[in-house]
Amino acid sequence: MAKSFLIDTTLCTGCRGCQVACKQWHNLPADPTVNMGSYQNPQDLSFTTYKLVRMQEHVTEDGLKWLFFPEQCRHCIDAPCEATAGEPTAVFTNPRTGAVLYTAITKDLPAEEIIESCPYNIPRMAPDGTLAKCDMCQDRVDNGMLPACVKTCPTGAMSFGEREEIVEMANSHLMMARKKFKNANLIDVDTIRVIYLVGFKPELYHGFAMASNAEIGITRHMALQRMFRPFKRAGAQLMRG
Amino acid sequence: MHVTRREFIQITGATAAGLAVSGLGFDLSPVKSHAQMIKTKYAKESATICCYCAVGCGAIVHTSIKGDGRVINIEGDPDHVINRGSLCSKGASLAQLTENELRLTEPMYRAPFSTEWKTVSWDWALTQIAKRVKATRDATFENKNANGQVVNRTGGIASVGSAAMDNEECWIYQALMRAIGLTYIEHQARI
Repeated sequence: MAKSFLIDTTLCTGCRGCQVACKQWHNLPADPTVNMGSYQNPQDLSFTTYKLVRMQEHVTEDGLKWLFFPEQCRHCIDAPCEATAGEPTAVFTNPRTGAVLYTAITKDLPAEEIIESCPYNIPRMAPDGTLAKCDMCQDRVDNGMLPACVKTCPTGAMSFGEREEIVEMANSHLMMARKKFKNANLIDVDTIRVIYLVGFKPELYHGFAMASNAEIGITRHMALQRMFRPFKRAGAQLMRG
Repeated sequence: MHVTRREFIQITGATAAGLAVSGLGFDLSPVKSHAQMIKTKYAKESATICCYCAVGCGAIVHTSIKGDGRVINIEGDPDHVINRGSLCSKGASLAQLTENELRLTEPMYRAPFSTEWKTVSWDWALTQIAKRVKATRDATFENKNANGQVVNRTGGIASVGSAAMDNEECWIYQALMRAIGLTYIEHQARI
């Protein structure tokens, strides 16, 4: 059943330990930042920022709430980016951990389409077209360690483990959270490996906190267009060769 | 039916995957992934205490055994009684105390009213600091206060900081400050 995360945002204090630990472990450089009137920095994920604590202020009936959302790749159980890429050497799921992983070969794929296929708007592109995002700290997890973000979390907001245990933990955290936050809920628990527990409506935290749940059908035209993509790509390569 | 570009790509992508695994000839099985070697595998481990605040979290420093002794990684010490492996954003950035190309490695001097910094030698810098501290202290030293009580202090110098000093460094530093008569001694942990 592979691995999963639980991110209990009701326990998050927005210290950003996870954000820094992620940069540190992956040897990623800093992104230049500017003061935008919020402690959230940088403003968005980037090719060199896989983890970002998003911060929102909302006035509710109980007064001002400062909402923290430590965002990262959700490692979908059936990842739309993997299906859109259609190229297992570029985007694939590690069967041992369930991590959705990107390789340098993403450079040869239509990056914008892959980014748009993500319901959570996670992948980011380098100037040369290579895509990057959270890799679930594959090297650490393969060696029996916790991902850097989970290991560093001082408040216990982040947990990582076997999926069944994490889902069970998510439900027990939800029971506790409901006592304090009547709208507390788990986001997309059945389809993703990074389960967020939120105390308020997901859209208050971030526009892409939850996958769109609009009811949409699939037309034959859409399906066919997608099916022929591998042939088109092979054809284009033959022409070039 | 209203479908955004993002939704369109999501629907068609998912459809293609469904068709592919149902036997239309596309092989989407993942490439075999090998267990990766971890960057701290052959590193030397030493225990340390985070230098930043008064909580005193424990951390493990991984240093290269290649001979250059550079820091590879610093993360929370799971066996430490204070933090049990966790670190906040300041602690998580500890490696940058040594591994950061923006770090200053030589003393810099900016003369009064100048806008330029210039590199100076340690000898020159330390001698200048000693001379100026001595001059200010001697000029502002009070043996007795207005009531005639012996105070032996200077109000002419204040010390503020430093966030990057650990507990033991702070002790030596404040002992020096008190020995020369400072009363305005403040540390980052209270600022």
